[in-house]
This record gives sequence, C-alpha cells and structure tokens, in this order.
Amino acid sequence: MFEVVDHEKLTHKVHRLRISAPHVARKAQPGQFVILILDEKGERVPFTISDWDRQAGTVDFVFLEVGRTTERMARLQKGDTLAHFVGPLGKPAEIDKFGHVVCVVSGYGLAGMVPIIKRLKEKGNRITTIMQAADNESLYNQEALKQFSDHLLIGVGGAGGGPATALKPLEDMLKNLDHEPMDRITAMASICLMRFIAEATRNMGIKTTVHMAPVMVDGTGMCGACRLAHADGTQFACVHGPEFDAHKIKAWDTLMARRCTYADDSIMQPGFKCDNCSQW
Amino acid sequence: MEMPKQAPCERKHNFDEVATGYTLEMALQESRRCIQCKKRNCVEGCPVNIQIPDFISRMQKNDLAGAARVLKKYTSLPGICGRVCPQESQCESKCTLNKKGVPVAIGRLERFLADWERSQGGAAIPDLTPSTGKKVAVVGSGPSGLTVAADLALLGHQVDMFEALHVAGGVLMYGIPEFRLPKAIVQGEVEYVKKLGVNLKLDYVIGINASMDELLESYDAIFLGTGAGLPWFLDIPGENFNNVYSANEFLTRCNLMKAYRYPEYATPIKMGRRVAVVGGGNVAMDSARCAVRLGAEKVMVIYRRSRAEMPARLEEMENAEEEGVEFHFLVAPSAMIGDGRKNVCGMECIRMELGEPDASGRRRPVPVKGSEYVVETDTVVVSLGTSPNPLIASTTPDLQVSKKGTIVVDENGKSSKARVWAGGDIISGGATVISAMGEARIAATAIHKYLVNIDQ
Ligand SMILES: Cc1cc2nc3c(=O)[nH]c(=O)nc-3n(C[C@H](O)[C@H](O)[C@H](O)COP(=O)(O)OP(=O)(O)OC[C@H]3O[C@@H](n4cnc5c(N)ncnc54)[C@H](O)[C@@H]3O)c2cc1C
Ligand SMILES: Cc1cc2nc3c(=O)[nH]c(=O)nc-3n(C[C@H](O)[C@H](O)[C@H](O)COP(=O)(O)OP(=O)(O)OC[C@H]3O[C@@H](n4cnc5c(N)ncnc54)[C@H](O)[C@@H]3O)c2cc1C
Ligand code: SF4
Ligand code: SF4
Ligand code: FES
Repeated sequence: MFEVVDHEKLTHKVHRLRISAPHVARKAQPGQFVILILDEKGERVPFTISDWDRQAGTVDFVFLEVGRTTERMARLQKGDTLAHFVGPLGKPAEIDKFGHVVCVVSGYGLAGMVPIIKRLKEKGNRITTIMQAADNESLYNQEALKQFSDHLLIGVGGAGGGPATALKPLEDMLKNLDHEPMDRITAMASICLMRFIAEATRNMGIKTTVHMAPVMVDGTGMCGACRLAHADGTQFACVHGPEFDAHKIKAWDTLMARRCTYADDSIMQPGFKCDNCSQW
Repeated sequence: MEMPKQAPCERKHNFDEVATGYTLEMALQESRRCIQCKKRNCVEGCPVNIQIPDFISRMQKNDLAGAARVLKKYTSLPGICGRVCPQESQCESKCTLNKKGVPVAIGRLERFLADWERSQGGAAIPDLTPSTGKKVAVVGSGPSGLTVAADLALLGHQVDMFEALHVAGGVLMYGIPEFRLPKAIVQGEVEYVKKLGVNLKLDYVIGINASMDELLESYDAIFLGTGAGLPWFLDIPGENFNNVYSANEFLTRCNLMKAYRYPEYATPIKMGRRVAVVGGGNVAMDSARCAVRLGAEKVMVIYRRSRAEMPARLEEMENAEEEGVEFHFLVAPSAMIGDGRKNVCGMECIRMELGEPDASGRRRPVPVKGSEYVVETDTVVVSLGTSPNPLIASTTPDLQVSKKGTIVVDENGKSSKARVWAGGDIISGGATVISAMGEARIAATAIHKYLVNIDQ
C-alpha cells in the first residue's frame, strides 16, 4: 500500500498528488513515469513524475481529470492509500549541454516537464519555455516553469484555437533563427501539438524530441500496447521511450488513432477535430 | 478415466474452469488402475521426477493426506502442473499402461489431490529447517521463481522474491486463462510459498528499483526467473492499426486485469465480432478461446503450416474446435487493411505450401505465388511467440546472454556472473511450466550447495 501524503488541487480538473514510495523516489530521474492501481479492481494507469524527495521517500505527479480512474483519483485525500505504485519506468530524458533549448508544454506537461527543464538549466542551457493551455484558468505551475526558464511564453487558445496557438510563438521563433538560433526543441504536450511541432521542424535541422503517452498496460515491455512505428523499427514507448526523436516517429495518424482506442467514441468520428481532445 | 467437463455450448459463455475435476470416487477408482511398476517408467517422463507410484499407492490405501505429502515433496505447485502439464508427452506417455491403451491419468490425480488439500483448509506447512542466516533474492514470481523460493526457504535460507507486476504468478496469472487455470488456485500456491517464510515484494522491477550489483550487496545469491515476456510482431504493413493486439496484451487485459468483468474491473478490452488469431501454439488457443468467451461471433486461427505441425496441445485444439473456433491452415498474413480511420477491417493473406524441413525438423511453409486473398476481420491477435525482456541483461553488462537474448547458464543453472543463477523461460526462451520448475529445482540445489559452503 502506498500512502497519499498530500493532495493539492491546482486548477480546474488538475491535481497534484504526493505519494510515499521510497523505492521509486530513490531512483527517479527527469522524464520517467510511474504506473499506479487504485484498488484490486483498478486499471494500471501511467503518470509522469513531476518531482521527488529522496530523503522523504515521496514522489509527485500532476494529473488531469479525464475519465474513470482520474475522476476517482480526484477524490483521494491525504492518508488514503493506493494499492500499487510502480516505477520509475521508461528511460530518463536526455539531458546535456545543448545550448538554446525550447520546451513546449501543454496538459500534464506543464508539470511533467519541470524536472527536465530544471536539469537542463543546471547543465547551463538557455531555456525558452512555451506554455499552452485552452484558457487562462487552465494555466498552472507558471511559477515553477518561470523559475528554471530564461523566457516563458504563453499561448492561450480558446476553444477551437487548437494547436495553432502554441505553434504561433514557436513559428515566430523559427522565423527568427538567424537572430536567435535554436539547438533543440523538446515537447511534452498533446499528441496533436507534438505532431505539428515535428512537422514544423522536420526540414530545419533542429533536433526535436517528444514525450509520448500511448495507451499502456504493463509499462515494462511485456504487452506491446504502447508500440509505435519508428525509423529504427517498432519501438515500445514504455521501455525505449517515452522520449523519442520526433523526426524518427512514423505514422503519426496511426499513433493518434491508437492513443484514442479507449477514448470517448466521438473522437473516432470522421469530422472530429483534435482541439477538444481530453488531453489538450 | 475421463474428467467431467462443462458442455461447449455452456462454457462458451463463461470463464469458469472447463474441466470440473474428479470426484473422490473417480479419483480413488483411477488410482487403483496403477499397477505399481518396479521399473518406474512414469517417473522418468516427469521433468521433476515426481515419485508417482509412491503417491498413487497411498491413494490406493485411501490415505489422501499421505499422498498429498509425498506429492508436495517433489513439487510445490501440484494444482498447477496437474492442470497445465502436457502430460500426454511427459509422465503419461511413459506409463506402462500407455502401451496397452490408456495410461493412468497422473495429472488428473495430482490435480485432485491438490484441490482436496485446499478444501481441507490448505496445505500443511512442513517443518522448516533452522535459519542458516543466508539471504537469497529471487527475481520473478512465475513457476521457476516460486519453485526456487520454496525450495530454498525449506532449507532454512531467507528468501526475498521480487515481482515487477502487481500480482505474483507470472504467466500463470497474466497468460493462462481462468478457464484452464483458476487464478484462486495460483494464489493458493503463492500463499503456500509465502507461508514458508518467503517475502514477496510486488511492484519492484530489478534493473530499475535495484540493479543486479546492488542486490548482490545485500544477498548471498540471486536466482533470475524473469521469463520470456517480450512479444514478437509480424512486421507487416498496418500492424499498428487499432484492434491489432499482441497475444500478451489481449491475454493480460483479459486474465490479469479481468477485462471480461468490465466495468466491475476498470480495465476495458476492445474487441470486434470477427477475431483472427495468428499463430498455432497454446497461446493462440488461449487467445482464441478468450475471444469466444468475450462474445466474438466468429473466431479464426490462422496458421502458416498444417494441422500436423501445430505446436498446441491436442486437447486444447479439440476444446477450441468444440467451442466453435475455426482453423485456417497453410495461410500467412501479408498486410493489415484499415477502414480509413486506422481500425483494422481485414487482413490480406497468402496461401502456403509445405516445402523442405527446416532446422526444427518441421516442413517449411512457402508462399504460393498469386494466392493472396482477404480475410474479413475486425480484431487481430498476433500470437507468434516471445523472447526474453532485455531489461536485466541491458543493465548488467557482465551477464552473458545468447543471440536470442536468453541467459547463458551451465548444467547447474549457473550464469556467467558470480553468485547468479537462472532458470525457466529466461534460459530456454519459452517452454513449459514443469520444465521451468525442473530447471529451477536444479538451480536451487546448486544455490544451496554454494550457500552451505560459503563459510568453509
Ligand atoms: C507515459 C505516460 C505518462 C503520462 N503522464 C501523465 C501525467 O503526468 N498526467 C496525466 O494527467 N496524465 C498522464 N498520462 C495519461 C494518463 O495515463 C491518462 O490520462 C489516464 O490513463 C486516463 O485514465 P482515465 O481512466 O481517467 O481516463 P479514461 O478516458 O476513462 O480512460 C479510458 C481508457 O483510455 C486509456 N487512456 C486514456 N488516456 C490515455 C493516455 N493519455 N495515455 C494512455 N492511456 C490512456 C486508459 O488506459 C483507459 O483504458 C500519461 C500517459 C502515459 C502513457
Ligand atoms: C498463454 C500461455 C499459455 C501457456 N500454456 C501452457 C500450458 O498449458 N502448459 C505449460 O506447461 N506451459 C504453458 N505456457 C508456458 C509457461 O507458462 C511458461 O513456460 C512458464 O510460465 C515459464 O515460467 P517462468 O518462471 O520462467 O517465467 P514467467 O511465468 O514468465 O514469470 C516471470 C515473472 O518475472 C517477472 N519479471 C520479469 N522481469 C522482471 C524484473 N526485471 N524484475 C522483477 N520481476 C520481473 C514477470 O513479471 C513475471 O511475473 C503457456 C504460456 C503462455 C504465455
Ligand atoms: S508434474 Fe507434470 S509431468 Fe510431472 S508427474 Fe505431474 S503432471 Fe506429470
Ligand atoms: S508407469 Fe503407470 S502404472 Fe506404472 S507405476 Fe507409473 S503410473 Fe503406475
Ligand atoms: S505498456 Fe506494455 S509494452 Fe509498453
């Protein structure tokens, strides 16, 4: 059993949980994730680690209420317990001295990216962070992102704005590369936004990485639910990722469909536009 | 003697055990068929050399408790082996009576004894040897890990067993379906092993939460029983379309996560009406039979060789056929066809014919030019086999692995790394429950020998 040490509501339908799990805290690295199970009848659901305290043995993550399990999680209180908590899973994010790094975040990326930005900053990179949210109420974690970023840009797009709102600041920057070169882009955002970014930078020679979140079951490389087509052959996001070179990912449209296998059926309708995506 | 079974029309609609087991009278009557041969042929056929005539002789005298005790001396998992062992090619194939017709139903008797013992309130805990003060880490809680853990605990060593998933049992829990091996029985056996003093640590991944070298700092020896859980795919166009599953995902959702009881259990499984299972082993049979029970209208098994080459147990094929599963032999998929929204809606297949025998001695299937056709299907389960998960090997540079990813061991299960032994699917690449147990037993003996000699 893993105790909920703290539960904070960050904004509408966004929560931060702090869980006591010393064996996970001891090994956590930026970009890794955990899988939890609420009770013996629960599903295995993955969440990106947003912070940890090795001394106190706690692990934090931020979640969006989008469906059955996360809605139940919203009701968890301090002192409650989770039946299972396993991690840190996946490969840590690639951290090095790259130069000028642009980080694009939306959804849970506003929190999940923080440890990565922090380590990138410690390595001496210059960081520009672009935050994207549907509306002002959905912005959270601004302080933390600001603390480790040299520039913080915010793209707020009302309903229907779609990925274009986050893409706008990025597109402006891409036009201005002569004045302000960019050495790397990394995104933890909705799959639609990450796809747009991958396309925008494909022919510009800028290394672009994306943090993928396909549907997972075990998270240890056993089921293949999380597989994606990759220039180096089929890869499993839970063991080869979740961070991937965006330009090596093939068949984004299949990935998007797979990601929505268990989503609300409306998502599969032909006329569906991604700006209502539950992860947006 | 035949074992009573649920009728096909009935069992198609539930996940309850297909074979309902002997009654006491049936078991005693079957035990009396054994002629207590001097030359114990049957024992030779069992990978763990269970002294079969010894437990049967006690049954013949109506001493069920005694019989169960004998059985437990050789296997800590009789309720499991009695159900899933391929007895027809092991103990029962060697039984003297087999030559004259029908062998003694050894597996069914073992199953009966294990179930009887459970109905009496669980297995008696044998006397434990005083503690030796030595500590062993067992990685993986499948049949091999459970066997090593039980054997070494009985010999007085302190055993901690680490399992990556949220329940113990390995393939017995996530792969083999409830209707062949009820999960309560597996958990009963796990409880028994825990009662012997074994500490079970779930949700703990070796290679992540602790490296092998870190483990070696706190343990005198390690046994690796991590199985072969990495699924193979066909590598054909469209394989990542929605509703194309690996057998591991399909079975894990269904068995481990109990998706057949969704929404009481939170994990869903999306399945259409026409399910195609690609492959011909036991795993393919299990997938097909789960699909039947999940409500598919049509379930097809697509196999690239002919019936004679099918690796699945005959009994399982018959069960599947009775339940309405269709077999398409000499057919191989060449592409998945999508419906425009990335859902699979068909599978392009090519007919095969059998050519020269290959390395495995089976005739190699070769495609017949121009024979392509489309199988209409909305759900595909790919069941081609698995290989070892590279997690431990990739984080343990001094552990020698073969090209196939299996850990290289000597005849005692000893790996190239000091104080590390291995057994089960991680060394064989995939075999049976009882062979995993057999290898585990050999490794346990070697580990014990090493531990008692450390101080000298
Ligand atoms: C590596 C990884 C990291 C993640 N990190 C976070 C995080 O930090 N914060 C956060 O809020 N969410 C994160 N997610 C997404 C999160 O796992 C899903 O939002 C969650 O599973 C939804 O569960 P639900 O039952 O509430 O939603 P429902 O919509 O009811 O889920 C229905 C089904 O869809 C599946 N599913 C839905 N969304 C996702 C998704 N994005 N990824 C995988 N499966 C999904 C679920 O398994 C479930 O079976 C991450 C996902 C992955 C794979
Ligand atoms: C669907 C299916 C049906 C089968 N039917 C039969 C049958 O009828 N009869 C038969 O005899 N055999 C059958 N088999 C084969 C048999 O189940 C296996 O040979 C046997 O389970 C192998 O046992 P094992 O202990 O080596 O590994 P497994 O049972 O695979 O157990 C390995 C365990 O180790 C855990 N693990 C892996 N890596 C780590 C790590 N890094 N840290 C911690 N834990 C880890 C895994 O989660 C797993 O629980 C079947 C297999 C399948 C898949
Ligand atoms: S363990 Fe398997 S092979 Fe051995 S006697 Fe029992 S059923 Fe036969
Ligand atoms: S070979 Fe058959 S008949 Fe002979 S002892 Fe063994 S089980 Fe009994
Ligand atoms: S989640 Fe099962 S292999 Fe990645």
